[in-house]
Amino acid sequence: MNEKERLLKVLRGEKVDRPPVICPGGMMNAGVTELLGEISDNHNTDLDAMVATAIKVREIIGFENYGVPFCMTCESEPFGVVISEGDKNNEPRILKYNDSNLEEIMDNFNPKLSINSRAQTVIKAIERLRNDEIPVIGNITGPISTSTSIVDPLKLFKMLRKEPDKAYRFIEYVNNYLIEYAIKMVGAGADLIAMSDPTATGEILGKKNFDKFAMPMYIKFLKAMKETDTPVIIHICGDAKTIIDSLNSLDVEALSFDSIVNMRFAKSKLSTRLMGNVSTLLIQNGPVDKIISITKNAMDSKVDIVSPACGLGMSTPIENLRAMTDYVKGSI
Amino acid sequence: MNKEKLFGEISEAVVDMEDELVEELCNKSLELSIPADETISKGLVNGMDKVGQLYEEQEYFLPEVLTCSDTLNIGLDILKPHIKAEATDNSIKVVIGVVEGDTHDIGKNLVKIMTESAGIEVYDLGRDVPLNNFILVAEEVGADFICMSTLMTTTMMGMKTVIDTLKEKNIRDKYKVMIGGGPISQRFADEIGADAYTADANEAVKRMKSMIAN
Repeated sequence: MNEKERLLKVLRGEKVDRPPVICPGGMMNAGVTELLGEISDNHNTDLDAMVATAIKVREIIGFENYGVPFCMTCESEPFGVVISEGDKNNEPRILKYNDSNLEEIMDNFNPKLSINSRAQTVIKAIERLRNDEIPVIGNITGPISTSTSIVDPLKLFKMLRKEPDKAYRFIEYVNNYLIEYAIKMVGAGADLIAMSDPTATGEILGKKNFDKFAMPMYIKFLKAMKETDTPVIIHICGDAKTIIDSLNSLDVEALSFDSIVNMRFAKSKLSTRLMGNVSTLLIQNGPVDKIISITKNAMDSKVDIVSPACGLGMSTPIENLRAMTDYVKGSI
Repeated sequence: MNKEKLFGEISEAVVDMEDELVEELCNKSLELSIPADETISKGLVNGMDKVGQLYEEQEYFLPEVLTCSDTLNIGLDILKPHIKAEATDNSIKVVIGVVEGDTHDIGKNLVKIMTESAGIEVYDLGRDVPLNNFILVAEEVGADFICMSTLMTTTMMGMKTVIDTLKEKNIRDKYKVMIGGGPISQRFADEIGADAYTADANEAVKRMKSMIAN
């Protein structure tokens, strides 16, 4: 069974020999400083460097997938924000939000046309990475996180209360753009889509707001992906207790959670597949034997796919990541 | 109108995010010559305390807390100019920011809002703050607290750098260092020698007050 078959089978709910161990990319990427050593150009912007990094993540660390990009800023970049493109030590990040009001942003940017150069680089990278044996993952920053990367999160959060219709329309507009972008990824050869929406936690939004503003977007996104026959993994940060029943109603191939979520509890509550959730802090700081025991614990909790629990620190040692992948593959 | 009743209505209006009502009631308090500082503490801040309570109980979440704090500020803008000038040297001073390399400032802003509404003076350094700035500003304003936040595992160790630098400069004891954010835990706070860690904004304010009282 090759890596692609194993992962896709798991996502279809079919039996496999062991769980795959993956690191999808996007928010949860293993483009760590140590790995980037010999890559000369910026892997966040340069096509060759992006492809080379995706390949190295698999070959050197042992994750069983290719995944691009290595940040969460490609989605918001076309909407008038200023970003830092990142380097070998820092991930790209938003430096300045778009201060315009939401209507102006919706009027001034046409999401169909604004697949900017970096998003296009991601799509070209997927085209280059596509193959028959290793699954290629297209990564999407979720609608709440992208919306709150375009405008100041505090501004949008207040609008959820004060101008809920306006806020909804904006998030929906962003979501439609994300759907277009994801469809282009699929067209380029992505085998599955991993969406991370770290800002859409139950802790930040609360269940009511989550149900009102996040859930309809996921439903629409998943429906569009279903039409292209593409499996989706959704990652939600933080403690998911308050929103776990809502999540259970989603028709999604797998859900991924932070290390704070007890996977046995999640398993008991959810009917879909689970991905996770080896603490990224532990992977960064070690020691290796603890990483192995926590990885084992994730497997014993019957996660369907083993992965880091959240975004990895850039200073995470390859050795520590390698312990996790080696353990899952049974070589230690 | 009875003074206590007015305070109760103002407090409730903050909880219910009633901007216009707060405006009306605060103006009324001035017409009735009720001391502005009393209306602030027994009306507005009392309301925000309840908001903090609701937040702790997970009845209110970030969107609600932010909206209430806007309502609170409408009242403060009306009343503050009428406060009799007092020496403010005794007030608690806090320097706060998101450590260098990280721009996630939702949590930090929430702490700032709750701290300010408790009458504590806050110097907000913003996000992606160069580590040395925490110390420079704290020294400059004579702060009591240095509060640092980060959501990212990558930037956590910056907090230790600040504490170590304070030690090197022999000024560690001048400040209480509080830390918070997604990946931060009490254990991490102990490891790097921070004075306090709190899991949420309301608890942070309570802790500041209790640490000063001791």
